[in-house]
Amino acid sequence: MSFLCLRGVVCGYGGGDVLQGLDLDVEQGAITCIVGPNGAGKSTVLRTVSGLLRPRLGTVRIGDADITRARPNEVLRHGIVQVPQSNGIFPHMTIRENVLMGGYPLRRDRALLRRRYDEVAELFPLVRERAGERAGNLSGGQRRQVEFARSLISDPRLVLLDEPSLGLDPKALKLVFDNVKLMNEAGKTILIVEQNVRIGLGVASFGVVMESGKVRLAGRSREVLDHPEIADLYLGGSARRRAQATPAREAG
Amino acid sequence: MTVGAGRISGSRLLADVRPERLAYAAAICAGLVWLLVFPLYTHDQYWQSVLIFGFVFAVMAGGWNIISGYCGYISLGQSAFLGLGAYTTGILTVRYHFEAWTTIPLAGLVSAAAAALLGTVIMRTRGHSFVIITIAFLLILELVAINLRGFTDGTTGITMPLTFYPTKWQNTPFYYVFFFLMLLSVLMTWGIRRTKFGTGLIAIREDEDKAGAVGINTAVYKVLGFAASAVLVGATGGVYGYFLTFIDPTGMFNILYSVFAVLAVLLGGRATIWGPVIGGLLIELLREEANVHFGGSSLDIVIFGGLMAAVVLFLPQGVVPTVSAWLQRRRTRHIPGVSELAIDLRAAGVPVSTGPRGSDRRLLEVDGLEKRFGGVRAVDGLSFHVREGTITGLIGPNGSGKTTAFNLIDGMMKPDGGEVRLDGRRLTGRPTWERAHLGLGRTFQITRLFRRMTVLENVVAPLRAFKWSQLAAGAVAGHEVRRAEELLEFVGMLRFRDTEAGALSYGQQKLVELAQILMLDPKLIMLDEPAGGINPTLIERLAEKIRELNAMGKTFLIVEHNMPLVAELCDPVIVLARGKTIAAGPAAEIQADPEVLDAYLGEGWTADEMANV
Repeated sequence: MSFLCLRGVVCGYGGGDVLQGLDLDVEQGAITCIVGPNGAGKSTVLRTVSGLLRPRLGTVRIGDADITRARPNEVLRHGIVQVPQSNGIFPHMTIRENVLMGGYPLRRDRALLRRRYDEVAELFPLVRERAGERAGNLSGGQRRQVEFARSLISDPRLVLLDEPSLGLDPKALKLVFDNVKLMNEAGKTILIVEQNVRIGLGVASFGVVMESGKVRLAGRSREVLDHPEIADLYLGGSARRRAQATPAREAG
Repeated sequence: MTVGAGRISGSRLLADVRPERLAYAAAICAGLVWLLVFPLYTHDQYWQSVLIFGFVFAVMAGGWNIISGYCGYISLGQSAFLGLGAYTTGILTVRYHFEAWTTIPLAGLVSAAAAALLGTVIMRTRGHSFVIITIAFLLILELVAINLRGFTDGTTGITMPLTFYPTKWQNTPFYYVFFFLMLLSVLMTWGIRRTKFGTGLIAIREDEDKAGAVGINTAVYKVLGFAASAVLVGATGGVYGYFLTFIDPTGMFNILYSVFAVLAVLLGGRATIWGPVIGGLLIELLREEANVHFGGSSLDIVIFGGLMAAVVLFLPQGVVPTVSAWLQRRRTRHIPGVSELAIDLRAAGVPVSTGPRGSDRRLLEVDGLEKRFGGVRAVDGLSFHVREGTITGLIGPNGSGKTTAFNLIDGMMKPDGGEVRLDGRRLTGRPTWERAHLGLGRTFQITRLFRRMTVLENVVAPLRAFKWSQLAAGAVAGHEVRRAEELLEFVGMLRFRDTEAGALSYGQQKLVELAQILMLDPKLIMLDEPAGGINPTLIERLAEKIRELNAMGKTFLIVEHNMPLVAELCDPVIVLARGKTIAAGPAAEIQADPEVLDAYLGEGWTADEMANV
C-alpha cells in the first residue's frame, strides 16, 4: 500500500462537496505533483491531509495510521507538515526564530531541537549565514527557503507544498525548486500543488491531474506531460508543443 | 448572511425552495406577534419592564451592529448616544417646554449629529485607538453632564414630568413605543443592507484599503455609518428619559450598557438582521435572572464576563449565523460544491468604453517617486511612464519595489517624495477612491476580494463616482447587474455569481478581481501578477482577454514574473531593481540586456526552461 493514501474522500467548506470521492496515492520518498484547472480542489486535498478540513466521507491514511479525523496538531505528530500558499513567515522575528517556530512540538527537548536546527542550517546556507537577521527583510524566494527550513525542523515524513512558485521571480523560482529537490534528496516525501505545470512536473516523479474534485489521471510525470488530451486541456497548448519539441528531456 | 440578487438564478448552488428559511421567518413572526399581544393578555408589570429593557438593548445593539457588525469599527460609545438622547429631551422638555413627542425625533437627530461630528474627527484611527476614543467620548459626555449645572442640574439630575395618559395604562404605552423603535431599528438594518451604503460599509469592514481602491468614498461612508448607528439609539434615549422620569449622569452614561449592546450582537450574530434583537432580549433576560438571584452583589458582572468568554469560545459566530451555517451544511450535503463548476471562458463581448489607440500620449507619468521603510529605500527615485494604448510590462526581482510602486500610484501608500500624474492630472495627495474615479483600476498580487460577499456583490461593489443619491441606491440592482454579469462571463466566472467569494480558489478569485476592476471601466488597468496561480491553459485565454481589451483602447501596466507571457504580451517592458528603473524597451531587447540577466533572470536563462505557457 502506498505511503499516503486517500480513499473516497468527500469534503467541502459548507457550501457543497468540493472533493467528490477522491482517491489518491503518494509513494514514499518521491515527489508527487498535483495539477489541474483552477477550482478543481487541489488545495483542498492538502487541507484535508493536514487536518484543517475534516472529510465528510472516506479515509486518509499515512503509513499504518488512520488520520481521517485527526486535528492539525495530531497530523503534525504523524510527521506531516504543510507549507502554506503565501505569507507564512513572521516578519518581525529573526530567521533563526522563524525556523525554530517549526520546532514548537519539540520544545521540551532542547538538545534535540538544537540538533535538528543544526541539521536544517546545514541544508540551507541562508539559515546558516543570516540567522540573526529580521525575516521581514528577505525577498520572496528567500522567505520560501525559511518556510522550507521551518517545515523540516520537526523532521517530517511528508511535506505538503501549496504553490511554492507563487509570486517568485525567475531566479528565485529556480532556487526554490532546487530546494524542493534538496529536501527530497534528504529523504522527505513531498506532495506539491502547482500551477506552474512545467516546473512542477519537471521536478516530480509522479503527476496527478485533478478535475472537479476527482483524480482524472495519475502516473509518472512524463506520462502526464505527454498525455495529449490532458496537455491540451490543462497544461496549455504551447506547453504541449514545447514538450513535443524536446522529447528527450527526462522527468524527475 | 449574504443576500442574493432577488432574481432566481439557474445556478445549482442556489436551491430554489428553502423550507428552513420559511421556518425561520415563521419563528420570527410568531415571536413578534407574541411580543405584540403580550401586554394585552397579562398585566404583569415586572415582565413588561423586563421586555422594555430588552427592547432598549435591542435598539442599542442594532445601532452597534451598523457601525461594528457592518462597518467593522468597534465602538463602546453606544450608551453615550442613549444618554445624549435622554438629556436632549430632558433639557428641551423641562427648560424650553417642548411638546413631549416633538423632542424624541430631535433627540435622535442630536445624537446622530454628535456621532457624525465625532466620526469626522476620529475616523482616521482604526482598531484599538478607535475603541478607546469612543470610551473617552462617553466619559467626557458624563463629565459635561455633571458639570454643566445650568442645563443639566449636575449630579442632582433632571426630573421629567409624569406622562399625560391615564395611570391605569401603566407602562403599556411605553412598551409599544419601545417595541416600535425596535422594529424601526430592524427595518433600518434590513434597509441599509440592501443599499449601496450597506455594501459599502461591509466592504470597509472586509478590507478598507481595497474599498477605497474600487472607488468607495470610505470617509463619507464611515461618518454616515456612525451617524446611522446613533440616530435610533438617541431617539430611544429620549423615550427612555420619559420612561425612567429621572435623568442623571451616572445612570445615563453607563458604560455597562455599551458592553451589553456589544454582547447582545456577539450573542445574536454580527451583521445579521435579527441577531441584535435576539441577543438584546436574551441579554436582558439573563441580566434579570442575575439580578434576582445575585442582586445587590456584583456577581452579575462576573456572570456577564463568563458569558462573554462562553460566546467567544462556543458560539463565535453568534446564534443566527451558527444556525444558518448548520442549516446550509445540511442542505448542501449531497450537492456538488464549487469544484464541480468549470471556469467557462467562452468568447464574450466586454462592456467597457473604447478609447483611442496608440495616441503616443503619456497616460501615466511617474516622476522621481520615493518610499522608505525604516532604513530600506524600497522605491528610490523611480521614474517611468506608460503610453496610452500600450500593454506595458513591469518586471524585476522580488523586493525590487514593483508592488510598492503600485501602492504609491493608487494611493494605498503615501510617497516620501516624487509625483504621479494620470492623464496630466496630479494624483499625489488624492485619496484612493478619487484615483479610482479618475480612471485607475488595480488588482492585487494576493487577491483582495470582499470574502463574505458573493461574487456578484463583489463585482457590483466598485463605484465610478461619489454621489449622495448612490447611498440609497439598491446594492445589487438594474443595469449594473447586467454589466457585472457580462463582465463575469467575460472572465468565465458567471456560473459562480452567487458563491461567496471566500469559498473560491485562489485562481478563481484572481479572475473575479479582474471583472471587479473592469466594472470601474478604468483608463489604466494595473495588474499585479495576473498569471500567478492560474492554470496554464487559462493563462493563454487570459492573455487573449487582455489583448482584446487593449484592442478596445484600454491601457495596461502589468507586473508579472511569467517571462514568456511578458514577452508575448508586453511592449515596452520596464525593468526595476532596487527601487529604480534599470532598463526599458521591447521584450526581446530586455531579455538580452546583461544587467537584466544579472539582476532578474539569472545566468543561463532561457525562455524555455522557465516557461509556464
